[in-house]
Amino acid sequence: MQRRKFLQGVGLAAVASTAGCTQITGSESTEAAGVSGETLTLTTTTSTYDTGLLDAIHSDFEEMYGVTVDAVAQGTGAALESARNGDSDVVMVHARGLEDEFMRNGYGINRRDLMFNDFVIVGPTSDPAGIEGSSSATEALATIAETQSAFVSRGDNSGTHTKEKNLWEAAGVDPGGDWYQEIGAGMGEALNNANQQGAYTLSDRGTYISQRSEIDLTILVQGPIEGGPEILANPYGIMAVNPGVHDNANYDLAMAYIGWITSPGAQDAISNYEMNGEQLFYPEAVSEEPNFQQYVPEGWSSDSDSE
Amino acid sequence: MIRLSNVSHSYGVEQVVDDVSLDVEPGEVVAVIGPSGVGKTTLLRTMALFLEPDAGTVALDGDAVWDAAEDERLALRRRIGMVFQEASLFDASVARNVEYGLRVRQDWRERIREQLRSLAGSTNPAAAVEDALEVVGLADKLDQQARSLSGGEAQRVSFARALAYEPSYLLLDEPTSDLDPRNTGLIEEAVFEARDRGIGVVVATHDMHQAERVADRVGVLLGDGFTEVGPTERIFDDPSDERTRKFISGELVY
Amino acid sequence: MPIESAVPLLLDNPFQRGYVPSIVYVSLYVSVIAVTLSTLVSLPIGLVMGFTQFPGKQFVKSVINTGMGFPSVVVGLMVLFAVSNQGPLGALDLIFTKQAMIISQFVLATPPITAISLAAITGVDENVRDAARALGGTRLDVALVVIKEARYGIATAVLAGFGRAISEVGSVLIVGGNITSADGISKTRTLTTAIQLEARQGRYETAMVLGAVLVTIVLLVNAIVVRLGETGAMNR
Ligand SMILES: Nc1ncnc2c1ncn2[C@@H]1O[C@H](COP(=O)(O)OP(=O)(O)O)[C@@H](O)[C@H]1O
Ligand SMILES: [Mg+2]
Repeated sequence: MQRRKFLQGVGLAAVASTAGCTQITGSESTEAAGVSGETLTLTTTTSTYDTGLLDAIHSDFEEMYGVTVDAVAQGTGAALESARNGDSDVVMVHARGLEDEFMRNGYGINRRDLMFNDFVIVGPTSDPAGIEGSSSATEALATIAETQSAFVSRGDNSGTHTKEKNLWEAAGVDPGGDWYQEIGAGMGEALNNANQQGAYTLSDRGTYISQRSEIDLTILVQGPIEGGPEILANPYGIMAVNPGVHDNANYDLAMAYIGWITSPGAQDAISNYEMNGEQLFYPEAVSEEPNFQQYVPEGWSSDSDSE
Repeated sequence: MIRLSNVSHSYGVEQVVDDVSLDVEPGEVVAVIGPSGVGKTTLLRTMALFLEPDAGTVALDGDAVWDAAEDERLALRRRIGMVFQEASLFDASVARNVEYGLRVRQDWRERIREQLRSLAGSTNPAAAVEDALEVVGLADKLDQQARSLSGGEAQRVSFARALAYEPSYLLLDEPTSDLDPRNTGLIEEAVFEARDRGIGVVVATHDMHQAERVADRVGVLLGDGFTEVGPTERIFDDPSDERTRKFISGELVY
Repeated sequence: MPIESAVPLLLDNPFQRGYVPSIVYVSLYVSVIAVTLSTLVSLPIGLVMGFTQFPGKQFVKSVINTGMGFPSVVVGLMVLFAVSNQGPLGALDLIFTKQAMIISQFVLATPPITAISLAAITGVDENVRDAARALGGTRLDVALVVIKEARYGIATAVLAGFGRAISEVGSVLIVGGNITSADGISKTRTLTTAIQLEARQGRYETAMVLGAVLVTIVLLVNAIVVRLGETGAMNR
């Protein structure tokens, strides 16, 4: 982008003074001349951002390259849309179906599996629908619907909401009625809302852990991290915006970022990131075994494409 | 000399000033008398170069005003002062009001410097400001806020405001119509002072006695232009026009 | 930054050091610049609307009145389309910057500032305008006199615009992106978007603290402007 080229030319000292003294780039080193002083725009989901993970690990990257990462927390749909418009350089989301579509349309390239955690079904300790300990998420949801127990839905087309809708479909239920409330809000608000009404909701484990001390909701159906059903897995992927579509995308820096965040060091930092003494995310990028499916849309093979 | 030659003005279809001619010389006081609604204000606004007449010419010392370019007309306009029937002071101190005419005649650099100086709190009013206030007997009110003045004081400040930049001509539109006798007297004295300084003064008034007191010459406006213009004494003692005579004697009631 | 000392009560709460001052700074920076630009545009519009007749004047008036009630998120979306890489201003690379936030707040603050200024300007006595002209004022001088006479109304207009700008959340969130750096210094996070973020995470107490800071700032700015109007600075 033009501004980035400009900043690159002027150098770090000027950046600090022209940026209205609020941008502190963290490093005085100008050795990494290629990208130094540039800004990487990362659009991502509220769940990664709100847990504080990104702030905790980004200073490492910023120091290493002498750059700034602008992390914009938008929710999966909006994060992908910003990237589609060329307004970001790299995108980190958790909705594989949407990520695949994004890649198939040519907007994203070099996808990597990044990390995962899982979803849990939480509810009041009284558990009016009696779903505690259920080993099937879909059965639990079906029971909630049958007993018409209060359920709070994000209703915001986020990754979590998308997951919830998929689960209802798998459960063969078309939720509706007074007991089912779409609140159109973030995960934290949804948990608070459910807490106040003694309702059930679907939450990502990270947000639930970070808020657990303030609410009375408990986990009734575990995700795969604690031995629950695989359907509640919550994998995060990362992709660079295709510079062939948006020539202003900062591809060099995006790839440096993807390289860094999938490196053993950053993956360790992710697994070491804890809140209230609990690990929130499980790294997935470093593996002995090859995993070719992470680079392409699910189910894609070179044979099927060349026919 | 301000010279109106065959000047006419109308608002829409209503002809208000009809074929009026009048000369005003420096150092004389001319009263324009006539009943309310006859067009005195309109005539004065024409003389003040506020209104362009529909017909006829307005000339200042031989320069035809409405043929001149805009900036020349501004220079001509700035030689004339006008005091309105209502004081309409600015919401600021008396000093600020009176120095306004001087200020707009300064160049911008000087004005900004002046503004900064006043923000810093140090202001020395120009001698002309103090002098003008002296003429209306308000030199002690320099720092008072205009909105706290009485009606009579406000009208006198309004007079001083027009006097301060030493215009060649001063037009007063019913300057004392709302005032008590004392303030009226003070304004009339100020009129004499202005005349003695060589200013040509025009006073529009419906008060014939005031005209008699202050004017050297009188123009009688009774509908279709002046019925008569002449020396005060002659107009009041021996009007040659029948309608003028009736108006002055009070027989003609409008 | 002088603001730092103004919020000592926040030093021992969950916020990182420098975080709150930096979002206060961004809030003020964006709002003050936007409102200044709005005022510079609004006053000439108000003067022209107040004193001249032109075809389409009624239309301009209704545009301004409609603009007053414009939802900020809609403005945010329009500005987003304009500054997005695909939009007409895309080449300027303004998305997720303070400049983009200034644009959207400018769009939001201009209608109320114009409408309230216009009311104040048309309320100035015609005789005062005549007096300025009679005393030798040029058109510009007369305009300046009118602005001075209408100063209380204009101050009210500016305050209304500032209030709208600094307490607005929808558009700055969309076009600014609510960004802080990894060390917790705001780039495009304002008090309102920070409050929104805290609320999203269910941290209502910290949201309340930030809300109190916002209200304090609005009250302070009001007090300063009212005080400026009362003291000599403008009256002399
Ligand atoms: N701006 C104007 N538009 C239309 N008519 C006006 C205007 N000003 C004055 N008039 C009319 O012109 C006539 C003369 O008014 P004016 O000059 O004020 O008279 P006077 O000052 O002698 O009372 C009145 O009938 C008045 O209603
Ligand atoms: Mg009159």
